[in-house]
Amino acid sequence: MESRRTGTINVWVTDAVTVTPFGDNLNALWLAVLAGKSAIRPLRRFAVKSYHASIASYIEDLTAPDDRSMSHALVERLVRRLDPMPPNTILITATTKSGIDNLEKLRRGIPADPADVLYSGFCEDVRRQLKLTGECFNISASCASSTMALAQGAELIASGYTDAVLVCCMDLVTEFVFAGFSALQALAAGPCRPFDRDRDGMSLGEGAAALLLMNSEHARLEGRPHLGTILGWAAANDAAHITAPARDGRGLRQAVLQALDIAGRNADEIAAVCAHGTGTVYNDLMELYAFNRIFDNRRLPIFSIKGSIGHTLGAAGGIEVAIGFRTLSEQTALPTVGFSSPERGAEKKVSMEPQAFSGDCLLTTNSGFGGINAALILGKGSLQ
Amino acid sequence: MGWVTATNLGCGRDNDRFELKAGKLPDISRKDVFDAPYPHFGRLDRYSRLGLSAIAFALKDAGLDRWPHPRPISIIASTVHGCLDTDLHYYDTVIPEDGRLASPNLFAYTLPNSYLGEAAIHFGLTGTCYIINETTISSLWCLRLVMLNMAGGQFETAIGGGCDLGQCPPFSTIGEKPCGALFFVIEKAIKRDCSAYGELLLDKSGMLALNGTKVSTLQTLAQNCIAALSNKKPMI
Repeated sequence: MESRRTGTINVWVTDAVTVTPFGDNLNALWLAVLAGKSAIRPLRRFAVKSYHASIASYIEDLTAPDDRSMSHALVERLVRRLDPMPPNTILITATTKSGIDNLEKLRRGIPADPADVLYSGFCEDVRRQLKLTGECFNISASCASSTMALAQGAELIASGYTDAVLVCCMDLVTEFVFAGFSALQALAAGPCRPFDRDRDGMSLGEGAAALLLMNSEHARLEGRPHLGTILGWAAANDAAHITAPARDGRGLRQAVLQALDIAGRNADEIAAVCAHGTGTVYNDLMELYAFNRIFDNRRLPIFSIKGSIGHTLGAAGGIEVAIGFRTLSEQTALPTVGFSSPERGAEKKVSMEPQAFSGDCLLTTNSGFGGINAALILGKGSLQ
Repeated sequence: MGWVTATNLGCGRDNDRFELKAGKLPDISRKDVFDAPYPHFGRLDRYSRLGLSAIAFALKDAGLDRWPHPRPISIIASTVHGCLDTDLHYYDTVIPEDGRLASPNLFAYTLPNSYLGEAAIHFGLTGTCYIINETTISSLWCLRLVMLNMAGGQFETAIGGGCDLGQCPPFSTIGEKPCGALFFVIEKAIKRDCSAYGELLLDKSGMLALNGTKVSTLQTLAQNCIAALSNKKPMI
């Protein structure tokens, strides 16, 4: 199958760092999820007695410096692990609520920097800490924010507009968000159980990721490592409901098929799927329905890491793409922590054990409020 | 194109001037925008009503407001403050009773892209829908991204523009900010009986030009579109 693009520029990912409750590096996250560990535990950051859940996956030692948002501390931990950026790197940040903890403080009469509450504050924070001089903007697309940011970064490079884009994404566990999902009755009482027959909701998580996307020719010239390639990207809207997915998964299916078309790949070439897999009844059903239609019920590994680190909202896509490249490199699909009895359609695809596979392409997807669905096709890197 | 500003509101073809400035935005009612009933329009938050109304005017201006089947039309919209006004109202429901009274309805609109979902449902738009946040409402990144995605084969029709309620103390810097919403319908090739304001081009440096005249902000693009219809000298 030919790519829809002509004269394609390859989009390499040359650096990928994460900060999660399992530590400030991707390897620690990989090993923890591979071992079936979960960071979802009793929440002590704010009072939870009024809510439907009392657990989340959060970074224990993350504290707000002075009147700043905790997002500032998270960004600091994230960017210190990045290699130097190429000149004129465009920065795209992605988040759902970035420094919303400062809005909470201000509303409760506690001194806080209001600039952190604006999305542009997150952008400026990263830019300042990395001393970047190129253009920057933030993308908000609900729980697909960082997936969209990666897609748009890939588009900027593939079009020849720029040679390097840094995507930084993060979200915090805050009372603002926790109370909202509790009010929507979307939180699981216990740790979430993606694709399990007895799942009852999601667990919130916090984390951050940064990925450097580069024109492959420039990356080669600079001797940058090739962690993997973003082969295809697309998004589609369900146009059905503000907070619930379309039950027939039509938006997700449209996004995946279009991403495959852009990548010039067939569904048969996808070796594994890193799913959104939130653990809510409707999301997981929708995804299974869409995947089984796209892959014609083919048996391929499908996994979700949200049973380990919770739903990191705007950071989910970024963290999952970083994990996705490692998955391709190791040729091992991660266990879905919390999963035990398969939902109909998940049999022999989702597993509580690691699954070995053979192939060069992985699909990763995220969906969110506003009916958004985003899909990325990842290609294996050349690192051994 | 369509807009709602402190000066006026409506479709591009129904107006002979456009200005984006600070001031009080109109209280938009359903009847100002939609002919048919829209049951929960009045219950939407102010930011969503503002953005949705401008999108509705833009689609009407382009003859795309009626639809027998869902269409792969995308929306890329910019904002500065986003739904901050809604965030404040929502969090005021969280503070009392330790969160017991948190409003699920308000929470659903505490994402700056929620109104794009509302537009997608109402107008059957199944393309890419997302928000970009910048430090000014009039930046052209939303249109650059529309053009780049279109050239890359992601979609053939899109709505690009911006929506902002303006200053939201204490979350913005001192001084009044321009506020309002302005959207353009951009098509790769018009396949309907509809005239265009002109041809929009993006060059490799990121510069946009309408009918060969450089545009520097969303408002100059709107003014140049109006000038193009009336054959006036475009603003640069």
